[in-house]
Amino acid sequence: MIAARRWRRQGMVWLLLAPSLAIFFLYRIVPLGWNAVLSVQKWSPLRPAEFAGLYHYEEMFFHDDVFWTSLKNTLVYMASAPIGIALALALALLVNAGIRGRTVYRAIIFASYPLMTVAVGIIWRWLYDEKLGLINYALIRLGVIDKGIAFLDSFIWAMPAVIAAAIWQIVGFFMIVLLAGLQGIPPNLHEAAAIDGAGPLQRFLSITVPLLRPSLFLCLVLGIINSFTSFDLIYVMTRGGPNYATELLITYIYRAAFVLSQLDYAAALTVVLFLLLLGVTWAANRASGGEAGAVEAAE
Amino acid sequence: MRRGPTWPIHLALLAVSAVMLMPLYWVFRTSVTGDNIFAYPPALLPRHAHLYYFVDVWYYVPFARFLVNSAVVSLIAVASNVVLNAMAGYALTLEFRAKRAVVLLLLSCMMIPFQATIIPAYLITKELRLLNTHLGLALPLCSTIVCIFVFKAAFDAVPRSLIDAARLDGLGDLGILARIMLPLSTAAVATNVVLAFIWSWNNFLWPLIVVRNQEMQTLPLALSTFLSYLENTTGALYAFCIMALIPGLVVFVLAQKQFVEGLTAGATKG
Amino acid sequence: MRRVLLNRYTLVLGGLAVAVIAWNLFVATHSDGRIEGHVVGPDGRPVAGALVTLREKTLTTLEPRATVETDGGGRFAFTGQRVHHFVLEASKEGRGTSGRIDYRLAFRGQNFSIAEPLRLHL
Repeated sequence: MIAARRWRRQGMVWLLLAPSLAIFFLYRIVPLGWNAVLSVQKWSPLRPAEFAGLYHYEEMFFHDDVFWTSLKNTLVYMASAPIGIALALALALLVNAGIRGRTVYRAIIFASYPLMTVAVGIIWRWLYDEKLGLINYALIRLGVIDKGIAFLDSFIWAMPAVIAAAIWQIVGFFMIVLLAGLQGIPPNLHEAAAIDGAGPLQRFLSITVPLLRPSLFLCLVLGIINSFTSFDLIYVMTRGGPNYATELLITYIYRAAFVLSQLDYAAALTVVLFLLLLGVTWAANRASGGEAGAVEAAE
Repeated sequence: MRRGPTWPIHLALLAVSAVMLMPLYWVFRTSVTGDNIFAYPPALLPRHAHLYYFVDVWYYVPFARFLVNSAVVSLIAVASNVVLNAMAGYALTLEFRAKRAVVLLLLSCMMIPFQATIIPAYLITKELRLLNTHLGLALPLCSTIVCIFVFKAAFDAVPRSLIDAARLDGLGDLGILARIMLPLSTAAVATNVVLAFIWSWNNFLWPLIVVRNQEMQTLPLALSTFLSYLENTTGALYAFCIMALIPGLVVFVLAQKQFVEGLTAGATKG
Repeated sequence: MRRVLLNRYTLVLGGLAVAVIAWNLFVATHSDGRIEGHVVGPDGRPVAGALVTLREKTLTTLEPRATVETDGGGRFAFTGQRVHHFVLEASKEGRGTSGRIDYRLAFRGQNFSIAEPLRLHL
């Protein structure tokens, strides 16, 4: 019977989808709603929940300096994404230039991305060490400074130092995305333009960049998501210090929830984080003409 | 091939490679000498190299227990990723009424980063009594949407004639999946394995939240605990880093192609 | 069959497995935990009846584990000590002490024969 078979087919489809959907339901959709609910409650494991309306939001926006500092830091981190993308673009152009050994170079540059971020944080923390670190040693030998700077303990240098480490880790990933985009540009476009007398810079600006726009904006979206979710590096390198100079929204959320045990307030912070992330990615998506696509933020 | 001089490009790329490799080399150098911590100024090449810090890490951390923890969690995550994602990817190649809605649902779930879910995820794991267990550590990672679409794309590429012939032979959906689709999609399976392994192996925030006693720690968490207890006092910290990085590096070198394919596929899925 | 064997995954992972098994076999067959050496005085002659203390060195502490006496030829041996990083100190009333000397092994229970004598000095 065709109807029975179709009914069985439908059943089979849902059977196949069920386990995955269950995991996404449990660990992505339900948490989203639960966060929203928690954020408007006063909740603690010992007392029953009571509805509190916008109490947490009021505290967050009007009485919490750390929130605003962490928000500012997150935005600064986000604003550094274009630097990484520009570097990655330069690297992609170099690697794409048809020289021998390009696969080796590509592998070396990309190797930093799959590394454990905790280990990367420890490595860089030590490179930045005030007395023993390689960076200070090199700077002193080059005569740039007289004595070591405590990068991770200084208000001015801590955030840039962490950002430098983050760029080191992610530039390979951006480069891979941009390489894929570059390889999608038909070479005869460049040849035709060269025949018409266009110089390399002109060709870069009028052919490469426009055709690379989807990849560039994709990198931008990835960089934005990374700045909102980059917990490991900060935790290992500075713990959000000194004095919240490197505290991001996500590290503040972790601290509020699991160190200070204020799960309801942390939930409110998470709601703000998520809405902000959605808003910024939507804006970036619109600016790119909607071609950047959805991205998995799995890490 | 390229016209014009290539040496400037090589020079630039060599300089960049040096910058990218220097941190790794420096940590490796310290892990075999302990220089820099106790001897300054640092030397570029290791003097008196020895492997004793690695022995220290093995016994004092203890490395083996955390390696096993990480391995078990990764094994659960990888195995369930392959199975669940293949099933879901296959389901998406079939026609059914709610298909568009499901695809839309999956795409929107991709926009929800794990970090936005940690508090309820913790509460849920607690309710399921899975706190501090290997399964609890692996569960949020047991299926990823990127990999579902990787499987779907691979399954879509299987010729229709093969599927029709199999149906005529009386093979059900599960049979088709296991006997026809999967064997023809080894690249997708490899991509799944590599991505799931790397993500579960390097995962730090979730173990930090879920692990409640020292013995259940995974490698990243153990590394961080070691750092907070001992800081810079011993070269063993850097030996620990190297030992924890090696599996990731080995997988990367072996399966770089699959890794890159998986990442670009996920990144460009729209 | 050849293709399976020469596949890089099999080579690397198989190679790793073989190396791990070989190392464990080596460790299992060589781990009686015997640490031996000898003590000499400031004049270079063996010292009998000196006390040698073994302390285990962890990343943070130094714990005494055992003490033995040297025999007539100034030799001593520790057995059954499952340590990999330890400190030896030899001393004798009136003859002085060797100070604390650091040793590291490749694995716990490794049989280790100390070439350099522990030299007492006042």
